Amino acid sequence: MRDAEWCIAAPSLEADIAAAAMGLDDIGHSRVLYGSLRELGTADGPDEGAYSNVPYLDRSWTDWTQFVAANAVLDSAFSIMIEALVNGNVEVLRSRLKKMLQEERYHYLHGRSWMREAKAAGAIEQAWREALEWFGPEGADVDGFKREGKLAYSVVDLRRMLQERVGERFPDPAIDWTRWDGARRRTVPGGIDRATLDMLQGLAEKRYMPASG
Amino acid sequence: MAYSRVHANVREYDVFARKARVEPLRQVGSVVAPDDDLAMAYARATYDEERWVEMMIVPRDAVIRLWGPGESET
Repeated sequence: MRDAEWCIAAPSLEADIAAAAMGLDDIGHSRVLYGSLRELGTADGPDEGAYSNVPYLDRSWTDWTQFVAANAVLDSAFSIMIEALVNGNVEVLRSRLKKMLQEERYHYLHGRSWMREAKAAGAIEQAWREALEWFGPEGADVDGFKREGKLAYSVVDLRRMLQERVGERFPDPAIDWTRWDGARRRTVPGGIDRATLDMLQGLAEKRYMPASG
Repeated sequence: MAYSRVHANVREYDVFARKARVEPLRQVGSVVAPDDDLAMAYARATYDEERWVEMMIVPRDAVIRLWGPGESET
């Protein structure tokens, strides 16, 4: 959704098109993930009222460097987690999520190239910190899933792989894990704005649908 | 924050694709990008409307032209 907001605002026409295409890819990925959740029979089912996101997505980005950092760091963190699921032992996820990785490869190439150009250090540091918060602390749920074989990588593995993919060395941010919300996977309160959430759930579009009957 | 709106140095790449193995590759368009990474991302995003079985890009400056339309072969 945040990607798509840049489909007429990126620095070049090609970047506009890529932003729109990557946004569409990611919407497709969320549909696959929600579909997989239903198939796996999660305890409560996907609860739209409990929508969670990293703080980076709370508000629209006002600078292209924020797009680049999200694309290069957060999208890569997401891809690595998907890779951990594809190489894990949950059959539904192993088979369903492979295509995502093929598509995410092009998101990575886009992010890596723009990172060289865009001088996005500040935005990248924030995205890096939020990616680590999203992975969570060592010894928590992710490492538990690793022990059960559901995920192929531990938190330490995920951090190392993200570091390799981003290619830059960052100092370890001091994350106060006592403030970490395990369900929302972030340390700061807040969330996405109501209007964007309505759009994500299709509520905004419903206003334009003809009345049935 | 400062960044160049258009890249300082870019290359043109021609994009080739085909829908079936039995078809020849054909040129479907072109992209302009500062490096191969971004050219690949742009080509895939821009020309993804068909279910191509193959897509490739070639830097235009790597193509050696023997002759063009209206030019003599010899």
